[in-house]
Amino acid sequence: MSDKKVMLDVQNLKLYFRTQAGPVQAVDEVSFKLKAGHTLAVVGESGCGKSSLAKAILRLLPRNISTYTGSIVFDGQDIMKYDDEKFRREIRWSKIASVPQASMNSLNPVVRIEEQLIEPLLIHERRSKQKARERVAEVFEIVGLPVDFLQRYPFELSGGMRQRAIIAMALASNPKLVVLDEPSSALDLLSQANLMNVLKRIKQQMETTFILITHDIGTASELADEIAVMYAGKMVEYASADYFYTDAHHPYSQKLMASVPTLREDKKLEFIPGQPPSLINPPTGCRFAARCDKKFAKCAVQPETTYLENGATVQCWLFDETGEVKHA
Amino acid sequence: MPSLAKQPQEQKAVLRIEDLHTWFEIRRMGFFKAGDVRALDGASFELYEGETISIVGESGCGKSTLAKTILGINHISKGSIFFEDQDLSTLDKEGWKRYRSAIGYIQQDPYGALPPFMSVQRILEEPMKINGIKDKAEQKKRIRQVLEEVKLAPIEDFLPKFPHMLSGGQQQRLVIARAMILEPRMLIADEPVSMLDASVRVEILQLLQALQRRHNLAIIYITHDLSTVRYFSERIFAMYGGKIIEKSSTIGLLEKPLHPYTAALFEATSDPDAENLTTFKDVPAGEPPSLMNPPPGCRFHPRCRKIIKGLCDTQMPPEFWVREDHAASCWLYKDQA
Repeated sequence: MSDKKVMLDVQNLKLYFRTQAGPVQAVDEVSFKLKAGHTLAVVGESGCGKSSLAKAILRLLPRNISTYTGSIVFDGQDIMKYDDEKFRREIRWSKIASVPQASMNSLNPVVRIEEQLIEPLLIHERRSKQKARERVAEVFEIVGLPVDFLQRYPFELSGGMRQRAIIAMALASNPKLVVLDEPSSALDLLSQANLMNVLKRIKQQMETTFILITHDIGTASELADEIAVMYAGKMVEYASADYFYTDAHHPYSQKLMASVPTLREDKKLEFIPGQPPSLINPPTGCRFAARCDKKFAKCAVQPETTYLENGATVQCWLFDETGEVKHA
Repeated sequence: MPSLAKQPQEQKAVLRIEDLHTWFEIRRMGFFKAGDVRALDGASFELYEGETISIVGESGCGKSTLAKTILGINHISKGSIFFEDQDLSTLDKEGWKRYRSAIGYIQQDPYGALPPFMSVQRILEEPMKINGIKDKAEQKKRIRQVLEEVKLAPIEDFLPKFPHMLSGGQQQRLVIARAMILEPRMLIADEPVSMLDASVRVEILQLLQALQRRHNLAIIYITHDLSTVRYFSERIFAMYGGKIIEKSSTIGLLEKPLHPYTAALFEATSDPDAENLTTFKDVPAGEPPSLMNPPPGCRFHPRCRKIIKGLCDTQMPPEFWVREDHAASCWLYKDQA
């Protein structure tokens, strides 16, 4: 595992939005490294900044940006230094593809699937129509759809099929990194499980690197090698899935895990009282402190990132470098 | 905390449903009848005092149609509903009003269910005005009581607020407060937590459970999420293609789902576990059937791997009671009943 090269290295990424009430700190000082062929699942509750993180990586930004800084080294290149035109031509869609939230409903209803799927290939890769069609037929098979469905219109496909068609579109240009924003949350349970099977197969066969944004910790475990937990714009924990699902460290991660109902075993469910803080003028200390039952004096200062033994990081004053609790 | 299956026979049935059908007529060009969508196609069960029945299934299986038919929003095409031994078809306008005030409805999307131009106070006063509780002191007392029960405190802070000023969890608690204000005897909760964040879901479900205990409420809990039912209900019904295909005590179903469709739902649900990464899920491909032209025989047979040729594709399976508290509408169990 450790011999794989780093595909994405994000350091101190900040994305603030300008509003009348002040800047919204949607993504604040987020750093992580993702190895090639691995899948990172970014989990957290609504409004924690996980979709904003995806947008910041893809540079799909709205106009009201007040701060957009940090470094994103992708495949050895610092893509934050690229200007918008170079980024559009060389990175977006050809090397980093994305499946935005609810994108299965954004297919044009009056254009056949095939015409829509070949479009990025014609524009970004300047392939001939014939070559583009062949490639699209190839990826259609990879995602498990019959090739003749390419001639259909979007309304003739079910939700699960449309979502797979969109994923085929993202895979068509053979990107190194695919960002999936809630790919399965609008689908029914069985379609969701089918889609996860498809993504798992793609991951094993094509060695694509995925970033999966989801609020569903159960589904995340289907695909994730690494888990990043976001809370109020901060990445509070980053750990391998093996480690996270058995031994989450941050008090927020622990509470989040305790609130997930399980089907196969009986456990005592808990909930987290209170609400996340506003991202306009968030508290200066740990952003979770107000809801944390383990808080102590030091939590009034923003915690530094602690590197634990097994490569996990956690932003919490409770732990020393070995993951032991420092403050009883 | 799944409680043991009760012997419901000893309890009083609040609601009894017999062979209930809800069909929606589809018209071509405005007046030619093109067919019926058989959204609900024959459901029978009884709901007892203080009990929760979970109804699980995917979108389009008829679970919300069932809820809306019980609420009187959809008309009854065939069959009957009895509420406290009173046949709903015999009710006059006043009777319907009384019936509706005895059942509370908790919608899926709290923001969509609350009028944005009304304050919390008005939202809670409205049902009382409509149902003839005109005494101001009584109104005040009830508002105070329900807001305390759903833990929207301090009450004075919340009364003048509008729905957009509340968080998702608070909005859903207001919806529950509104459902409780007429002191209903039964609640219908249609996906009450599916729009909420994980950390709030449990809080809302525990709140509903506490209300149920205090008021001995009968609850119908509709959900697509099998993993929450374990913590919340005594019995589970699974629906597919407009039919109830499995009825069981919660424990019995979680131990061993009988119907192949319920087993697939079970398989498709992911528990948070890092080992999921290496295993593929064994779920049937395909889509639920069209409800206008449902397949003959069992509605699941085109997707079912355990199909018995010549039987499943021609004859509709009846309910087979495999155990005292566990039935499946599936031909696989014809010799075990």
